[in-house]
Amino acid sequence: MTGFELTATALPLFAPVEITLDALSKAALYIVIASGLSLIFGLMGVLNFAHGSLTMLGAYLGGAVMVALVSSATGQGMRLLLFFVAVAVVFAALTAFGAGVERVLIRPIYDREPLFQILLTFGLVLVLDEAATIVVQLAGLQPQTEWQDAIGTAPEFLAARYDIIGTSTRGLYLFEALVGLLVVTAIFLFLTRTRYGLYIRAGSEDPEMTQALGIDIRQAFTVVFGVGSGLAGLAGVMLMWDPRFGASVPLGVETLLVGFIVVIIGGLGSFKGTVVAGVLVGFVDAVMSWLFINYIDFPGLPELVMFLVLVTVLVARPQGLFGVEEVGGH
Amino acid sequence: MLVLYPFIYGFLTSISLSLLGVSLGELFTVFLPRVRTMVVVLYVGLFAMSFDFVSGYTGYLSFGHAMFYGIGAYFVVLVGTGKIPGLPAETPFMLIIVLAGVLAFLAALAVGAVSFRLTGVYFAMVTLGFAEVAHVFIRNWSYVGSNPRDGVGVVGRDGFAVGIPGIDALQFRLGRLAGDSFENVLGTGIDLGAAEVSFYAVGAVVLVCYFAMQRIIHSPFGRVMVAIRENEERAEAVGYNTFWYKLGAFGISGFFAAIGGALFAGYRRSVAPENTFDLFVTADALLAAIIGGFGTLAGALYGHLFHEFLQGIFTTESSGLARFLRDTLSEGILSAGVGEFTVLEFINVFIDGRAELYLGVIFVAFVLFVPRGILGSLRDRLGGPLAETIPERLRRYRR
Repeated sequence: MTGFELTATALPLFAPVEITLDALSKAALYIVIASGLSLIFGLMGVLNFAHGSLTMLGAYLGGAVMVALVSSATGQGMRLLLFFVAVAVVFAALTAFGAGVERVLIRPIYDREPLFQILLTFGLVLVLDEAATIVVQLAGLQPQTEWQDAIGTAPEFLAARYDIIGTSTRGLYLFEALVGLLVVTAIFLFLTRTRYGLYIRAGSEDPEMTQALGIDIRQAFTVVFGVGSGLAGLAGVMLMWDPRFGASVPLGVETLLVGFIVVIIGGLGSFKGTVVAGVLVGFVDAVMSWLFINYIDFPGLPELVMFLVLVTVLVARPQGLFGVEEVGGH
Repeated sequence: MLVLYPFIYGFLTSISLSLLGVSLGELFTVFLPRVRTMVVVLYVGLFAMSFDFVSGYTGYLSFGHAMFYGIGAYFVVLVGTGKIPGLPAETPFMLIIVLAGVLAFLAALAVGAVSFRLTGVYFAMVTLGFAEVAHVFIRNWSYVGSNPRDGVGVVGRDGFAVGIPGIDALQFRLGRLAGDSFENVLGTGIDLGAAEVSFYAVGAVVLVCYFAMQRIIHSPFGRVMVAIRENEERAEAVGYNTFWYKLGAFGISGFFAAIGGALFAGYRRSVAPENTFDLFVTADALLAAIIGGFGTLAGALYGHLFHEFLQGIFTTESSGLARFLRDTLSEGILSAGVGEFTVLEFINVFIDGRAELYLGVIFVAFVLFVPRGILGSLRDRLGGPLAETIPERLRRYRR
């Protein structure tokens, strides 16, 4: 009883800090989850339903790398270093996988209705999820619940909680916000400072004109689908340590839906929109989670409100906050 | 064919003849879906047909269709547990079905009014969004039961009966345990078990729904639906207000989806969020519609039959292929193989309960290579609906 009174009086004062810290880590995660989707849709107009499943694969793959390399004797700094090794491995593996999928499966159906691209990538979800379930079971793990061993490979200074201005947060959440910032910067530089980024921006604007200027847009498609898949995997590696997510097969659908929400709210095909929407959704999620924990006894509150925001945005501005009207309006 | 299925199944699986040391009856048990699986084929088939009705004919992919199925299913269970004010638990099932349909119809109109402001990919995503809101809601709505995440069941009430309310002799109760069974029907010496009775009772409702949807598709209204799929701008230019047609089609589709869900709940007597409102329930309809033939209506039922057929073969239960192989193959064959990886290992890993994997692969293959589906391709080959062209062909051969 005293505990309740304590929280009830102490929370409102520091609630903004607590919510902001929570929101920053969520926003970072959501942006990374959604950025690959956004890049792919922006250039190719393909809505990749398999994106979440790729995140799920990334989480397992990253977890496998960590569990294989980390022993209880591994130092804390070394674990952090290995995290970036896992990021590199997973990004490379899924980029290659995504490029292969684009070449073999998606290329034949560009000239068909967009409906078939949804169907095809959705079929991939079924195959990937089931294949992952089989492999995970063979490895003696339970596919429906989080992979605790992978969570356990996180360095202690990330797993621990720290007191910040009256509230406490996990080191990991701050770390996630930092990695998210790095990823956003990297993508932004990729889009604005590299030749391929130029192709992508040009291709999103007007694919035919880009082709007419002598750019091999098909190759750009393959690269972008690969990079988008790699980003999905990277998001998975970020989630593998997070006790709120963790590597599991249902993670695929969970992250796919979040990715959709962010990408649609931001406007399909606009990276800037994705970043803004990611922050927005992160804050909505954090505020609603806070309300749920303290005041409103309804566990589905954050998800419910996130979807309501989505529906409201779609009704008020179908092209999303930063979207261009024609993109995706088939 | 489908009408006589229980008898064909009963006959084929009881054959005691054996071929090369393998009993034919057992072989049929492995490869033919059981009668109670056929009941599932019927109600999920109806759901898939309702999905095909709106998505296959207007071209708008309704990715949240599970919502309407779930509304139907939950409505039945809520009435059955006496939780809907004004409707006693013993309300006749036929009335509940219609009310469930009307409720879903209204829900579909509400969802559609918002969603049809959008097209293509956006429409698919926003309907998915609505269904997920409903999913989250139903998972946490404690009014439904003490543990809404695990779903609820109907306890106490008699079996849900299909038939004419008020006349007991014309009521047939559904269910594996609560269902009716008849011995020696009308003195013909035929016994009907609970599964068979459910099969015919559910089948009758599904058939009526199928004819109703077929009728709508061949009406002027249905023509406009196809026109919207083929070229919406042109349909609009001709003078149709396509919005109202799309909305109407969506509502009707929701109505029939809810009836599918209501039959499911009436037969199973329990519902859970993951087998009603889940994205993968929509996926079932999608698979069925694509494999059976998008925009063919009846194809969806056959598509789901194919689904259950595969699942029946790869099931872990005693009628599955894995169990059969383990029992039939000799010890020598089972332990043969490369190193650790034996035939037995292969069966356990790649056959036992793996239908979903192969189904996913087949689905992808269909999208790539057979976009018209089974029934659609057959119709292309024969040049018209099967019911018209097959008798024609047979007649030609007879001469």
